[in-house]
Amino acid sequence: MSENAGAMMVERGSGDRRFLPSSGQLAAYGVAIVVICLPAVLVGSWIFTLGICFANSIGVLAVSFLLRYGGEVSIGHGFFVAIGAYSVAVTDSHFGLSLLAGLPAALVLGILAGVLFAWPSRNISGIYLAVSTMALALALPEIINNTNSDWSGGYEGLYVSHGVLPGVPIALQQYYIPFVLLVIVAYMLGRLRRSRQGIVLLLARSHSAAADAFGTRRVWARVSVMGISCGIAAVSGAALAFASSTVSPGGFTLWSSIFLLVGSSVSFYGLTLPRALIGGGFLTLVPQFLSGSGAWIPVLYGLALLGVILAGQFAGRIRAARRRGPEGA
Amino acid sequence: MSGVLDLARDLLPLIWSGIVTGCLYALGALGLVMIFKCSRVVNFSHGNVAGFAAFLVYGFSTGFLLHLSWGAAVLLAVVAIIAIACLSYAVIVPLVFQSDLTATIATLGLGLIVQGATLLVFGSEIVNLNLPIPHFGTSILGLRITGYDLTVLAVAVLTIGILFFVIDHTKLGVAFRAISDNPFAAEVCGLNLRSVHLFAWIVAAVLGVIGALLIVPTTFLSSTTVASFMLQAFAAAVVGGFASLPGSLVGGVLIGILMNLFTFYVSPEFTNTFLLVVILLALNVFPNGILARAGGSRV
Repeated sequence: MSENAGAMMVERGSGDRRFLPSSGQLAAYGVAIVVICLPAVLVGSWIFTLGICFANSIGVLAVSFLLRYGGEVSIGHGFFVAIGAYSVAVTDSHFGLSLLAGLPAALVLGILAGVLFAWPSRNISGIYLAVSTMALALALPEIINNTNSDWSGGYEGLYVSHGVLPGVPIALQQYYIPFVLLVIVAYMLGRLRRSRQGIVLLLARSHSAAADAFGTRRVWARVSVMGISCGIAAVSGAALAFASSTVSPGGFTLWSSIFLLVGSSVSFYGLTLPRALIGGGFLTLVPQFLSGSGAWIPVLYGLALLGVILAGQFAGRIRAARRRGPEGA
Repeated sequence: MSGVLDLARDLLPLIWSGIVTGCLYALGALGLVMIFKCSRVVNFSHGNVAGFAAFLVYGFSTGFLLHLSWGAAVLLAVVAIIAIACLSYAVIVPLVFQSDLTATIATLGLGLIVQGATLLVFGSEIVNLNLPIPHFGTSILGLRITGYDLTVLAVAVLTIGILFFVIDHTKLGVAFRAISDNPFAAEVCGLNLRSVHLFAWIVAAVLGVIGALLIVPTTFLSSTTVASFMLQAFAAAVVGGFASLPGSLVGGVLIGILMNLFTFYVSPEFTNTFLLVVILLALNVFPNGILARAGGSRV
């Protein structure tokens, strides 16, 4: 356990040494240290829940990434999460291979599926894309249920039983490995933001003509943003399958896709580790606290979604009014 | 020759029932398009609100909440749904004029709340809700026509006829078309965007109630029945171009027939996947709807 944590810190440290830590990075380090130490004080069921929370946080990052870099809203990311989850579950239960083999497969298949979806819909944007992703999410359960049930496990789903690190209790692996994946994804998103490629993608979103002039075609940017986002979603699915050790079609409905969007908006579409944890935590912990009264969950999610959107709206207006205030006077 | 006859014997009932269900999809799609046309917002809460309305009718007419006659129950449910529509619009009105995409996400939040409310009030049980129509069935040219079919057709034709008349011939309809064409110019001319938007929301909600009440007798009523039926309505709206009322009518009937043919000849298990393909094809091949190339439309 401590080796694992140490390796992670080294990895984070070596990448960030060139940059002085900002307050955001300090917050990320603080959060990481708290998360690493938590299993020492928590009971088993909470460790299990937090593992799922980290996996959901990666899914939230996927939706936020698409929104930030592509300007698009997806309510069908559950589809790509399911691709990742099923890649891991199938490699685990049919080939007896662990997450180490399933994760690359999940990533590749997720990116592939994202590109395959993005290419025919490259000219669709805004609400039209949202509607087609909705159809994607609605088509998913029947695709899983009606594919060969020897492979997909049908309605019952599949189990993920192989650990990654021999000798480490599986419960701790289910906690730390999703967290390591979350840290890696958040770290890579941070690097992407500062890289040339990331800036080009952002430019293609905001000034597509300028990006065109620099040699970045809008279609290329759109398809790659969708590919990256779906790859992240598939990693989230892989982590989810590993953390919860089961995969079934009931976990990937339209609602689960919408919930990812709720988590993304609750975290204000942030791409940092703490923001992702806020979104994933909201998605995972609210049902945990409300487990006695399930019907309140959609109500609360809906209120949170509306609350965040309206708060963002009015905060922007108040700020704008403040800026105008002194100038007017 | 007999092959052709067999084909006709299969095709005719499929097309007939496709037209009947297609009218229902069209009612759902018209509600979506009414709101989209004037405010550029896709109302994802449409299905959930319509489902809630069907549950309200059930609750008011069976003694779950009240003991009312069917007509009074429908009236009360419509009033409640109009109140919900007004409330929904009031919540998203600050967003509508800023970003249509944000307002669209907000409707997802509204949908979640209504979905939760349905579960809270009525639970997750499955109930039956039938229309008070006499059992009737006749056979014409080997085609079985039931009282339900005729009711659906009559109600749909009447509703859509009234809607198109209002939009084509009344001041409100002219205002609606003006705002759909050019909101800025319409506002300059003194039209109140908000009240016309509200008109669209109310009409959409009522269309949703009618659609929900007509669709439920074919299956059963649960908290997700009507919401899942909305995918067909979305597909109908997309095929029609999402901004054309006649387009969504044609789209609804087309989707109804295509769905029936697909279920019968190809596979009954992959209907949603089929709709996904239809939506993607329609968005790429007819981005402005199937009627756009045949020369614009008025309503």
